[in-house]
Amino acid sequence: MEGMIKVEHLSKKYRKKLAVDDLSFKVETGKVTGFLGPNGAGKSTTMRLMLGLDRGHGTTTFDSKPLKDYTQPSSVVGILLEAKAFHPTRSARNHLKILAAAGGIPTSRVDEVLDVVGLAEVAKKGPGKFSLGMAQRLGIAAALLGKPKYLLLDEPANGLDPEGIAWLRDFLKKYADDGNAVFVSSHLLSEMSQMVDNVVVIGKGKLIANTSMSKLISGSGHSSIFVRTTNQSKLEKVLREKSLNFEAEGSGLKVTGTDTDAVGKLAFSSGLTVLELTNQAASLEEAFLELTAGSAEYAAHQEVVS
Amino acid sequence: MMSSLRAEFRKLLSVRSTYIVTILVTVLVAFIAFYGEGWHLSPAELRMPNQLSGDVFGALNLAIFGAIIGILLMTHEYRYNTITYTLTDSNSRSRVLRSKIIVVSTYAIFLTVLIGVLSPVAAYLGVHAHGHVLAHQTLQVSNLAWRSLFFGWSSGMLGLVLATLIRSQVGAISALFIIPIGIEPLLTLLLNTKAVYLPFTAQAEVIGNGMRGAGTPLSAGKAAIVFSIYLVIGWIVAWILFLRRDAN
Repeated sequence: MEGMIKVEHLSKKYRKKLAVDDLSFKVETGKVTGFLGPNGAGKSTTMRLMLGLDRGHGTTTFDSKPLKDYTQPSSVVGILLEAKAFHPTRSARNHLKILAAAGGIPTSRVDEVLDVVGLAEVAKKGPGKFSLGMAQRLGIAAALLGKPKYLLLDEPANGLDPEGIAWLRDFLKKYADDGNAVFVSSHLLSEMSQMVDNVVVIGKGKLIANTSMSKLISGSGHSSIFVRTTNQSKLEKVLREKSLNFEAEGSGLKVTGTDTDAVGKLAFSSGLTVLELTNQAASLEEAFLELTAGSAEYAAHQEVVS
Repeated sequence: MMSSLRAEFRKLLSVRSTYIVTILVTVLVAFIAFYGEGWHLSPAELRMPNQLSGDVFGALNLAIFGAIIGILLMTHEYRYNTITYTLTDSNSRSRVLRSKIIVVSTYAIFLTVLIGVLSPVAAYLGVHAHGHVLAHQTLQVSNLAWRSLFFGWSSGMLGLVLATLIRSQVGAISALFIIPIGIEPLLTLLLNTKAVYLPFTAQAEVIGNGMRGAGTPLSAGKAAIVFSIYLVIGWIVAWILFLRRDAN
């Protein structure tokens, strides 16, 4: 299949612990796909398995071919797995020159990507003293070197300042719009909700969801419809007849398990005048917490203060 | 292969440690040969026709720094996690290893030549600076060259193979020093005359610096073969592990 990353039956076991459990999903071109999961869910391990860095079972193909079948893998996939993956005293430019040489990429590209990520002024400095945000930018520069069709980024927004996060969001969306695919993991759910088109959610190494962001949110139990009519008791009766769940909220009703179109039509057919009809979408955080409940490897507990 | 090779050479040449090690070896060789060997030669030593050859073999102990470079070239990858880039950029792990072997070999040979040229020159200057005259020297160039080059190159390979096996910088450097200084002398007590077949003892015997008390020394050629066998076995294990292990 062309134009996608296809992950099939990835598995990885550390001694007795199954870190990744028969994971299959697709990452499409033209879209930003978010990779979500609680701490210890296996996100980083999955990314490493996809790249062949860790040994496990299953296959990952990029445009139907495994990465090792490409003569210049860095032109296929750009990676950022760890922000500070560089020698601390080797200059940022030399770090990128090495990667360019390894990937058969012209050295002139180094200054281009340094400029793109805003590190041109510190190109001659050793990145050992870079802030986390600057280190992330250098990592992003490394990922972009080969102008790859696919980007695999593990927590790229960590440590970035608000301006940096906004830049990253716009940049990745634009990168995907240009016909590329971006696969990005992050714990910054509010950012992810603004950035991603699709989501892959895993917990304890298993796939929980692989869907579009809109479906994930609309399918959440926290999503509801708020409706206010001239006759609330009649509306309640109609909803009960249709077996729809609802509860009173302020001067109207909060209806779950349906959409605005259905509620609107129902009110109209019952002769009710609708005064207010709004979709109360769940946040990504609510949807995420609902999906991964019970899948957190390292869940914190509230301390009881006596 | 060329891309990988170019990248590995850049790695070697773009870190301070390469230059620090090279300068350190140059200074040490120059100082030891000039002052320790040349300046302080006794009248009996001044009359020896192979004095400068002996100086070269003595100074070659500093080729251990070639092993350090071999260790750094590999362990930096794991210490700073650049191994993720190295292995993703290349579609063959074996190619990565081959490139590292070529780069470390090149550096180790360069270092050996540097030591081999600098030490007799510095010793000679030391003799003359002290107002002495050295007897006419007979150099068996081919014998001196192959033994020196083998010792220097194999030191680099030893460092690289230890680093590939252990992956930890501290661990590999510790092994490089602890085995010849601590473990082999103890094994010599157990093995008696067979101790000449221990790896570091054999390697040192190539340049006539083998451990005393380890039995009748092997000839340089046999010692080189013994050490080569250890290297080959080490590389087979290291290579298989490099292909199979997770990159972290």
